Amino acid sequence: MKASKKKTLLRKASRTFLINSIAFMMLSGVALYFYTRSLLNNEIEEELLSTKDRVAHLLQSNPDIQDIPPVITITQVPTPQKNTSKDTLIYDPLQDEIELFRELSGTQLINGKNYRITVRAMVIESEQILLGIIFIFLILIALALFFLFYLNRSHNAKLWQPFFNNLKRIKNFNIKSEEPLQLEQSDTLEFDELNQEMLLLTSKIQIDYRNLRQFTEDVSHEIQTPLAMMQAKIETLFNEPELNEKQYTILSSLQDDIRRLKNLNKRLILLAKIENNQFAQEQEISINNIIEAITQNFKELTNTTFHVAADTILYVKMDPYLAQILCTNLISNAVKYTLKNQPVSIAIRDQNLRVSNAGSQALKQPAHVFDRFYIEGNRKDSTGLGLSIVKKICEHYGFLPLYTYQNKKESPGDYGYHQFEIQFTKQTC
Amino acid sequence: MKFLIAEDERDLRHAIVKYLSEDANICEQAADFNEASEKLELYDYDIVVLDINLVTGSGLDLLKKLKTHKKSCGVLIISANNSLEDKLTGLDLGADDYITKPFHLAELNSRIRAVLRRGKFDGEDDLIFNEIRLDTKARSVYVNEKPITLTRKEYDLLLFFITNQERVLSKAIIAEHLWGDESDMLDNFDFIYVHINNLRKKLTSAGAKYIQTTYGTGYKFTSV
Repeated sequence: MKASKKKTLLRKASRTFLINSIAFMMLSGVALYFYTRSLLNNEIEEELLSTKDRVAHLLQSNPDIQDIPPVITITQVPTPQKNTSKDTLIYDPLQDEIELFRELSGTQLINGKNYRITVRAMVIESEQILLGIIFIFLILIALALFFLFYLNRSHNAKLWQPFFNNLKRIKNFNIKSEEPLQLEQSDTLEFDELNQEMLLLTSKIQIDYRNLRQFTEDVSHEIQTPLAMMQAKIETLFNEPELNEKQYTILSSLQDDIRRLKNLNKRLILLAKIENNQFAQEQEISINNIIEAITQNFKELTNTTFHVAADTILYVKMDPYLAQILCTNLISNAVKYTLKNQPVSIAIRDQNLRVSNAGSQALKQPAHVFDRFYIEGNRKDSTGLGLSIVKKICEHYGFLPLYTYQNKKESPGDYGYHQFEIQFTKQTC
Repeated sequence: MKFLIAEDERDLRHAIVKYLSEDANICEQAADFNEASEKLELYDYDIVVLDINLVTGSGLDLLKKLKTHKKSCGVLIISANNSLEDKLTGLDLGADDYITKPFHLAELNSRIRAVLRRGKFDGEDDLIFNEIRLDTKARSVYVNEKPITLTRKEYDLLLFFITNQERVLSKAIIAEHLWGDESDMLDNFDFIYVHINNLRKKLTSAGAKYIQTTYGTGYKFTSV
């Protein structure tokens, strides 16, 4: 379908009604015009014929009848002429005008003489009658249509009201909510069927969504025990006297693999928990303090230096654990991806927290940077979940996460900045 | 010391028992809720390692039972669920510590030792290894009664080494002990190397040479 401008249902219905009724009005007007005209013409013909017969009848008894020009003229002619019937323009001295007349003339043999009898009728009268009829007809039809239009429109609005109400409810429906979709009952069969189908669909989607969420959490939990067993067995092997260095290396790299799985798992569980609204605790938290603590911690873990610039003390109302995760993930992402020996900058301004790190080029798909399992480049130690957790936390509280790449490359060897910014002002969506 | 390991996964239970028995501890096992419940009623233990999700019942119920009977053993909970509520419920019910699967045996051991040290059960604040003495209350270290200055991480490291003496510790185990969740931030384990080296230097200069490198990248704290 062509992506044209969408019109509302009621407007479309009114439009169709309007176009159809105008077409009907015009067609019926024209038809009426021709029909009435032919009726009137027939009437005139008949009248003229009967007048002519009457005149012929009178002539038989009284050959000295006078003409009544221009309505009746009688002339004696030597030879019979053909009957004619035509329209003709004649000057009417009474009205001092040239008028259109219908004329019927014929020759008749009366008492041995050929008389030519011509009778005429003024057409103007019938034209006026015709126009009058059409005019009244059109006015009546227009009035009727006008009322019908409004009646139809309000009736349509009423008829479709349950549909519109339910449409609104469907729009406001959130699959994440536990509440089933509530739809208005209607006595229209099709609407009722639509409601049934919608209810079926949405409840199915809700159940699937819930199952999916539950599934992630369940699987993640179930994986923990086998992981624990693997880890314990590796440690048991570590302390076997027969172990050699080659085997140890393999076992300790196995330990790293398990650690990766464990981290992945932990983050999946965290995501599921945020989705399940399991972080209801909210308190005023100073982001500055959290940043301070995190950077202190990180100093023991990496060589990366931090430049912290805080214009204000930023207080945010949220779960302290989530606040901690949010900031840690942002900073650890920056630490992981910053160019060698380049510091990570953290700026707190107004309601915003910005973490930036040096990068050699802009991301290829910046729109996906907050997506689950989106990893740019080939980092094996990344779970691809850190920033999606950031996004999920932001969604949970209505904060806005942003990514921009600031290119500062002026000469070769320069680098740009990946900037991650969180706007802690509640977004209304 | 007498421990009870209540864990329904046989392999995990065996591995724990094997690891903990090496320090001449007596480790008894319970494979399900009933067995654990029965043993707890009959015997006294210093430490109970309790899996919350036992097949036939909840470890938390056992914990409640233990506390109502005023048994004075230390309880360490194992859970596959690292939710905060579970942790808080466990601790509220009187558990002494909480560890989430998957964990390293060395970590479990060090947690158990910490519970034992915390005074209630053993009362011993000092940890002694030959000429090294750790005052765990003051977090200070003496070699031949001469104090040596250690950073926070070096102290934690030494404590971890001594608790898990004579066992091979990989860098991953050490990293997770020292930095917990944040250890996955480490791009490589060079930082551990720095801390271990510093600790080793300090101990060696005081005359205590116990940190051995094994299998190239592992460590072992041993007097042999």
